[in-house]
Amino acid sequence: MADPPVPGEFDEVDEAVGQEWETETTPYERVREVISYTYTPVSAPTVAEQARTSPKTARKHLNTLEDEGFVTAETGEKGTQYSRSRESLVVEQAADILARLSIEELVDRIEELRNRVTAFREEYGVDSPEKLAVERANRALAGSGAADPIDPEERREWQRTRRNLAFANAALAIANAERFVGGDSRPTDENALPQ
Amino acid sequence: MGSGHDQGESHTLRGPPDRPVLIAIRDLVDDTEPLATAALDDFLDPQTLEVSFDDGLCDAERARIDVQWTTRNDYKFHYTDSNEVDLRWGKHPHDSDYENVTGFEHYHPPPDATSNPTEVEKSCITQSTPQLVTRAVLKLWRTAYHADSLVPLNAGSNPP
Repeated sequence: MADPPVPGEFDEVDEAVGQEWETETTPYERVREVISYTYTPVSAPTVAEQARTSPKTARKHLNTLEDEGFVTAETGEKGTQYSRSRESLVVEQAADILARLSIEELVDRIEELRNRVTAFREEYGVDSPEKLAVERANRALAGSGAADPIDPEERREWQRTRRNLAFANAALAIANAERFVGGDSRPTDENALPQ
Repeated sequence: MGSGHDQGESHTLRGPPDRPVLIAIRDLVDDTEPLATAALDDFLDPQTLEVSFDDGLCDAERARIDVQWTTRNDYKFHYTDSNEVDLRWGKHPHDSDYENVTGFEHYHPPPDATSNPTEVEKSCITQSTPQLVTRAVLKLWRTAYHADSLVPLNAGSNPP
């Protein structure tokens, strides 16, 4: 087992890691990395600051990434704002899932995640954690008894499972579609695919 | 603090765990730190990225850092080792409970990662992206590892 490299001197860890990242990557790679996990739209200068490059360079790369379908751009009152394309994120996660799980495993896990989401819906009597928050707030305003709040960790678990179920469903849909759009159909997993 | 707004609620990470980010952190750890192996606690529906170290800090033989990261960029990096030393870097709202912390970034110091409002410290990590926060944690870990001391973990510097 190799020892970790001995770290050099540094004054501030924030600046040290920022400089290392800048040395090891191109501006394009940094802009792509920053926008990868930006789900709420931001301006090009905001991306530029995080990606350690100029607003002009950031804008150029963001526009290229928009052409490639990796980024969504919206122009409104605040100028052009950028975020990660949801479609691109879903496709990326689906590909990651399909690279690791067999169709049988995926079908089993989807059923399990779906059951967990259904159990949350039944437990709280609403379709989503967002609806639950609205319903609880209304009840509190109406003064109709003490609304027993959902445990915040449980709410996050509900949101998490729902989101990852969406990625898993996309993976299965892609695997399903791929059987029929190519020349040869895949010989295996025929029975595991629910139609 | 107001009634019906206990520390549990106000100190919760905002947003659900973000699988895409946990995967990116996993790959970065595996590429960067020879002593570490990172794995999602559940491949499809992960809550935590578990980073296992083949050696611990000071005289601990093994260690682990559990990483949580949410869709709203709140996080926790919790270190624990075979000597039962715990500490944690975090970023999330805390209702100004932590007297020495102005922003959301903070540090729960060893040996028990205390949440005592007077003992939680300002974090030396104020970067906000998964890439840079993870690099900072790994750099601080390495610095502490070579110094045989927990002090560098929130000192944020490695003087000559």
